[in-house]
Amino acid sequence: MWLWFSKLGSPKWFYELSGRWLPWLVIPMALLLIVGIVWALLFVPPDYQQGNTIRIMYIHVPFASISLAFFPLMAVAGTITLVWRMKLADMVAKQAAPLGAWFTALALASGSIWGSDIWGTWWIWDGRLTSMLLQFFLLIGVISLRSALEDTDAAAKACAVLSIVGCINVFVIKFSVDWWNTLHQPAGDFSLSDEAANPPEVWVPLVIMIVAIYLFFAVSLILSTRNEILQRERRAQWVQELVEGH
Amino acid sequence: MFETIQFSSLGEFFEMGGYAFNVWSVYMLFILFFFINLYFPLLKKKQIIREQKRRLVVSKESTIEISET
Amino acid sequence: MNQQATTGQAFRATLKRDLIIAYKRKNDLVNPFMFFLIVATLFPIGISPGPDRLGEIAAGVLWISALLASLLAMDNLYRSDYEDGSLEQLLLSPHPLYFLVLAKNISHWLVSGLPVVLVSPLIAYMLNLPDAAYAALFITLLLGTPVLSLLGSIGVALTVGLGSRGLILAVITLPLSVPVLIAGTLTVQETLNGASLGGYLAIMGAMLLAALTLAPLASSAALRISVN
Repeated sequence: MWLWFSKLGSPKWFYELSGRWLPWLVIPMALLLIVGIVWALLFVPPDYQQGNTIRIMYIHVPFASISLAFFPLMAVAGTITLVWRMKLADMVAKQAAPLGAWFTALALASGSIWGSDIWGTWWIWDGRLTSMLLQFFLLIGVISLRSALEDTDAAAKACAVLSIVGCINVFVIKFSVDWWNTLHQPAGDFSLSDEAANPPEVWVPLVIMIVAIYLFFAVSLILSTRNEILQRERRAQWVQELVEGH
Repeated sequence: MFETIQFSSLGEFFEMGGYAFNVWSVYMLFILFFFINLYFPLLKKKQIIREQKRRLVVSKESTIEISET
Repeated sequence: MNQQATTGQAFRATLKRDLIIAYKRKNDLVNPFMFFLIVATLFPIGISPGPDRLGEIAAGVLWISALLASLLAMDNLYRSDYEDGSLEQLLLSPHPLYFLVLAKNISHWLVSGLPVVLVSPLIAYMLNLPDAAYAALFITLLLGTPVLSLLGSIGVALTVGLGSRGLILAVITLPLSVPVLIAGTLTVQETLNGASLGGYLAIMGAMLLAALTLAPLASSAALRISVN
């Protein structure tokens, strides 16, 4: 177990392993995406209330659900950085922050485009939207802290602390915004049609898209982490050999 | 589940029952984001390797110069 | 000097030292307070002088002004100590950093937060806050502003080594303070709607307790990272 753990922490080992993994992530991702998008656009029956805008759900829901995973991911990586000083964890955390900001922004944008029809407006201070927006701001905070600190080691630890604090805060924000929201406006007006009541031809493509976009997230994160490894380990023997081989 | 295609003509498919803007802008955003997010890391990798190669050459030349003098 | 001070003595000494420094530098004492007054004045000018409208937004105005005033005052929490090296001394002391950081945060709140809380009924009157809300506003500010100081301290500790950090501090700290803002303004509004204060104050009290126990830990970890 410990051997495995320290091995996983070695950037070189991760670089080689992820290189071998990538095709096995990219191929299912591409297949599932094609199947999912075609299914969502062509075969899903229009919703009885929302008509064809229901097709937006197949992009929005996967993005929104992944966006929620970024702070826990960064907090775990931050804890590993602080406790075991594993360089790889910080490389992942560093690349996860901007990726998370993009995913959150896209979840917000697609939600707002979807909502422009259901709610009749582009933006409402709905609980989910508001906490998503605040999470976006927190991610921007982590990114700007990282770019402000020049020393890599100090930036790693500082961002780790901020990610852990931010992760706790995201949960408190979620709770308090829901509370705020239920008191400000009667709930229920905006909720989606009950998902449990949906037939399989609606949720099966959704599951496919969720898996596909999770794979897409994994591939993006691995690709940018590999770049980060090359850049930070550029003085290592194995990177120099790799560069010469190109 | 795959019984029917929900649209009878291509025009109707693009129209999306009057929601063309909403549906297509979200899918366009996604596709744009998808390709950018895969393309930029690959571009960056090339840049890093090019940069590193240049550095290696420079450092080798300088070590040769030092050893000659 | 072979007599070791206890942690309690170190706590009190840190608190006393910071209070004396704040007292000697009158600006630190007056500026957050003045900033609070001026920001609160901008709202009636910017929105509407109509008493009904003002009464509706008064609680939110006061809370946002207090939040901004606390943010402004944050900058001198560790800054001057960092520059003259006494922060390093603090880190080297044998006492748990947690208590020393807590002492600094408390003194900071006494200097920048408490005056704001004390003057808030006056501003609330000028903003035409409904009578029923005064007690709720005062108590929520009293419970909430220490949380703002404690959370802000984490942000300052993370950025203390940076040259220019006015904006980055705001970007880090303001989203963190949202739950306190929500709890504070909601409590005031719900009291106006006739709800009893107890449950809401319990939530704010829980926030304060959580912040008191956890935030100094994060602050001291951040200080150790920033100063090395």
